[in-house]
Amino acid sequence: MTPTAKRMPVWPLYLGVLVVYPLLVYPERALAGLTEISVGRQLTYIFIYAILALGLNVVVGYTGLLHLGIAAFFGIGAYITGILTVSAYPFQTGFLVALVASTIGAAVFGMLLGAPTLRLRGDYVAIVTLGFGEVTRFTLRNLEEITAGTRGLNPVPPPQLPGFVETPLSWLGIGADWSLDYRLFYYLALGVLVAVIWLLANVERSRLGRAWVAIREDELAATCMGINAARVKLSAFAIGCGLAGLAGCLYATTLTSTAGPDAFDFNRSMIMLCCVILGGLGSIRGTLLGVFLLVGFDNVVAPVLDGLIQAAQINTSGNRFLTFSNWKLMIFGLALVLMVRFRPEGLLPSAQIEAELGHERKSHRPAEAPA
Amino acid sequence: MSLLDLDKVTVRFGGLTAVDQLDCSVDERQIFSVIGPNGAGKTTVFNAITGIYHPSGGSIAFDGRPLRRPLTWRLIALAAVVGVCTGVAAGLLAIDVNALWRATIKRNYLGPDAPFSYRAAWRDAAGYVRGDLALAPVRGGRWAVRTADDRRTLGYGDARQEAEQLRDRQQQLVDAAAGAQVVAQDDRWQLVADDGQRVLETFDNEADAQATRAQYTAIAAAPVARRRDALIAALLGLVIGSAGTWAVWHRARRSPEVISRAGIARTFQNIRLFQDMTVLDNVLTAMDRHLSGSVVQMALRTPAMRRREAEARAHAGKLLEFVGLAHRETALAKNLPYGDQRRLEIARALATEPKLILLDEPAAGMNPTESSQLNGLIERIRQRGLTVMLIEHHMKVVMGISDRIAVLDYGVKIAEGTPDEVRANPAVIEAYLGSEEVH
Repeated sequence: MTPTAKRMPVWPLYLGVLVVYPLLVYPERALAGLTEISVGRQLTYIFIYAILALGLNVVVGYTGLLHLGIAAFFGIGAYITGILTVSAYPFQTGFLVALVASTIGAAVFGMLLGAPTLRLRGDYVAIVTLGFGEVTRFTLRNLEEITAGTRGLNPVPPPQLPGFVETPLSWLGIGADWSLDYRLFYYLALGVLVAVIWLLANVERSRLGRAWVAIREDELAATCMGINAARVKLSAFAIGCGLAGLAGCLYATTLTSTAGPDAFDFNRSMIMLCCVILGGLGSIRGTLLGVFLLVGFDNVVAPVLDGLIQAAQINTSGNRFLTFSNWKLMIFGLALVLMVRFRPEGLLPSAQIEAELGHERKSHRPAEAPA
Repeated sequence: MSLLDLDKVTVRFGGLTAVDQLDCSVDERQIFSVIGPNGAGKTTVFNAITGIYHPSGGSIAFDGRPLRRPLTWRLIALAAVVGVCTGVAAGLLAIDVNALWRATIKRNYLGPDAPFSYRAAWRDAAGYVRGDLALAPVRGGRWAVRTADDRRTLGYGDARQEAEQLRDRQQQLVDAAAGAQVVAQDDRWQLVADDGQRVLETFDNEADAQATRAQYTAIAAAPVARRRDALIAALLGLVIGSAGTWAVWHRARRSPEVISRAGIARTFQNIRLFQDMTVLDNVLTAMDRHLSGSVVQMALRTPAMRRREAEARAHAGKLLEFVGLAHRETALAKNLPYGDQRRLEIARALATEPKLILLDEPAAGMNPTESSQLNGLIERIRQRGLTVMLIEHHMKVVMGISDRIAVLDYGVKIAEGTPDEVRANPAVIEAYLGSEEVH
């Protein structure tokens, strides 16, 4: 390893672009001619999925427990928010209470799932979590009186803005009506995402973050060093699933509905896992990149290309093979295969895993400099 | 005074006895070596001491007491809480949480403008459990009289008051149906309550009267059965929840973590570092229990937390300096040469601040220079006030630094004493070289 010069961090640039983007009118209008999708609106969902993926990353990436049911906790968060806020029920607590309750509620369910899997390893954890995900989906569907079955709970009301925020918003040209202007949700999701990243980065560098990784690396050695493996794994489940619940709350609020139980099926868990693996297990940067690439491809690039094809009048006869969306999954699969072949550590792996897998590659070359 | 006492420790795996009735005691600040041919059960002894294996027999005492996770009030409270929660959850599921929700929330909450009282909801929840008939609003501003679980509708009323009267009449029928009798009276049939006087309902023929009686008896019986099921489920949940908590605790009574916290640290024969962590992080991980602070403090990285982390880093740096790895702090553990990995394991074990350190073949794979440095390191560890227990094959290392040596062969201790005594012991020579007759 060669010591690298201290560089300027690049994240303020990315954050700056994301903060400024909704204030510019042009990009949205340019795309509006092609498709009905609004990039800003889709970015809001990408932020939410990023929070979900970061939660999954705590369990799978740091602690090394293969969790295949993260969507269930996303759903639990969404439904707790729904039950607490919709006008069909008397609680109507408002957004902030729902946000806290969804996070804590999903964390509690995460611990309930985690507790029986403490002694399981590898594939067995995967099977239990997979099963829990499906059980949750069917429970949500069958508790018809509480969750409104397949219809989902709606409308979930938007958060109440405190009065003093509205004036500065109007200077920026942002209306205070959540249903008309996507930018309120955009900044809400972006703000929560930034906070989550900051908190997770802190935990990563702390005692708990090290214990998570130690459990992943060698559970027996970790317990022999005085680490309570049960407690550490439970904390990973609680924090990971809690973040998924938080994302679920934002999702339901942004969508103004909990969506049906099928929105939280195995596919969603799988896509999130792919995001984490594509970006790099155990790396916050990698997970974010993975979400932006995969979900961005799915929600932004594919519809825009469809719109382009439509606009160019290439596909007037409605040929299925000339619709880009129909190739989506194939491209997605191909990309994953290529990635696993050429860059198994992910695109932006954590420094540790990068060194591990990069080391093997370098050892084929003549040594550049003696260590 | 002896720090570690093994009393007739036996470890069996199925029919195989790995360690047989081992007696052994290690004094404070001693360097105690365990030697023996391969497969003699030395590492098994270490695993039994550190809680990886549970001895099949015998006892292990450290500092005069057995190492066990203590039974605290916290565990009892936790078992109680988990038990109650499982019980409540199981009971709610058995009594049908879906119908309960409908009875309490949906019937009481008629829209965003209508008032909602939690007290009424609570009363309705009790009513649902009792099996009281309930009023449900139906289309056209009418009210339906329904059974508690909403399965049957018993009648409609146009106004609420009318419906309430209907409900009360039906409720009387439900309450009295089980004991009621069908009595013929002036070519009509009456359903008479069990006091023999109150006429509940009059019918034109006997079949209708009997059918009605049966119907209302069934309505009255349903909640009783549901209550019974819920009670059984709740009790089972209570028992399973608290017994499960207790079982999990009991199984982990002698887990490696408890032993480590009591002050026994170890290294491993096949190096078990956290390969993908840096050298410094490996040591910091072992200091886990000496770093305080809640998750919230960690997440917010409070100044107190930063200070403690900095102190821990400094301490870890000193430990690395002690074993001679100060210059490799940022390297990944896996990228270290073999000898350095062994020394890092020792530094990591020292970071748990043990009283006794178990070194499992620390000189394996080391060259002569490294192993003589290791001698110095072990001696310095003893000077820090630690007791060292050592498994080693390098006789130079063993004979040079040990105060006492125990020799194991096929799980049995065949000799114990000072290096000179052991060297002269014929049983030891036989174990290592074979007996005279073989020649």
